[in-house]
Amino acid sequence: MAEFSWVSRSPLEQGLVTGVHGARGIKAGVLLTEIRNFDLIQVMARRGKGVQMASAAEARFGVAAPDVPKAIQTADASLIWSGPDQYFVLSKGSKHTMDTLTRALSQSASLSDQSHARALIGVSGTKARAMLAKLSSIDLHPQALPIGTAAATSIDHTSVNLWRGNDRPDGQAVFNLLVFATFAESLWHTMLDAAAEYGVDIRHSEEFA
Amino acid sequence: MRIVCPFCGERELGEFTYLGDAKPVRPAASASEDEVFDYVYLRDNVAGQMSEYWYHGGGCRAWLKVTRNTLTHEISAVEPAAGVGARKVGA
Repeated sequence: MAEFSWVSRSPLEQGLVTGVHGARGIKAGVLLTEIRNFDLIQVMARRGKGVQMASAAEARFGVAAPDVPKAIQTADASLIWSGPDQYFVLSKGSKHTMDTLTRALSQSASLSDQSHARALIGVSGTKARAMLAKLSSIDLHPQALPIGTAAATSIDHTSVNLWRGNDRPDGQAVFNLLVFATFAESLWHTMLDAAAEYGVDIRHSEEFA
Repeated sequence: MRIVCPFCGERELGEFTYLGDAKPVRPAASASEDEVFDYVYLRDNVAGQMSEYWYHGGGCRAWLKVTRNTLTHEISAVEPAAGVGARKVGA
């Protein structure tokens, strides 16, 4: 019998090359950061159990789960709206995993572990919005997409969950993208092409932006 | 054309998939062959207001019931289909 040792690897391990790429002689306008090693649980209310799920979520997280396209920050997790009666729980350090959340939420919701099924990409920099605007059809202007706004949308025909995180200390907006792992490299290269003219600084991180 | 998803807001057509007429209702198991034939195959070719199913697959993945004028593409109402659309394609 072959013995398997399951080692999780980033879906962008091949595609992501750290460093500054694209236009030279200018400060990189786009900062692309892949965030690795996160816990991501999809929570979907069972039929007719939306109200029970909402109160179970509030008991667990101390805040109401989003029922409109928003990303809500709790003490140790982000609750990201992904559709009617459903949201993601994004966290680090095994604080909210299938084990712990099943006990809290499974009476009213179905849970699915997406930790290794998605790639998480943070987009920032002075030209982040200009770059994303080439690819996305939603309005990314700060007035239309204030901090904490989430959207389930498509970028380059690829489904993504997009939300605006807190601004960086230098005031730059941060757009977070969750994309299916098998589509991550395709989306990554599309974003690289779109960002090349502005100069793009590529990193990966174990920490949320 | 844009559709205002009741969950996501205004989105471009590319995020949606068209299913078809929202009017036909699945006949009871005891229905006659003619009624089943009508339900499965016969569709009205509407010129004007039409009730249609659309799927927001590029967004929140909800089924929507859209009232659209087939002559002008003007959309007068969008509401959630609450599982009806999913049932219609056998999901």
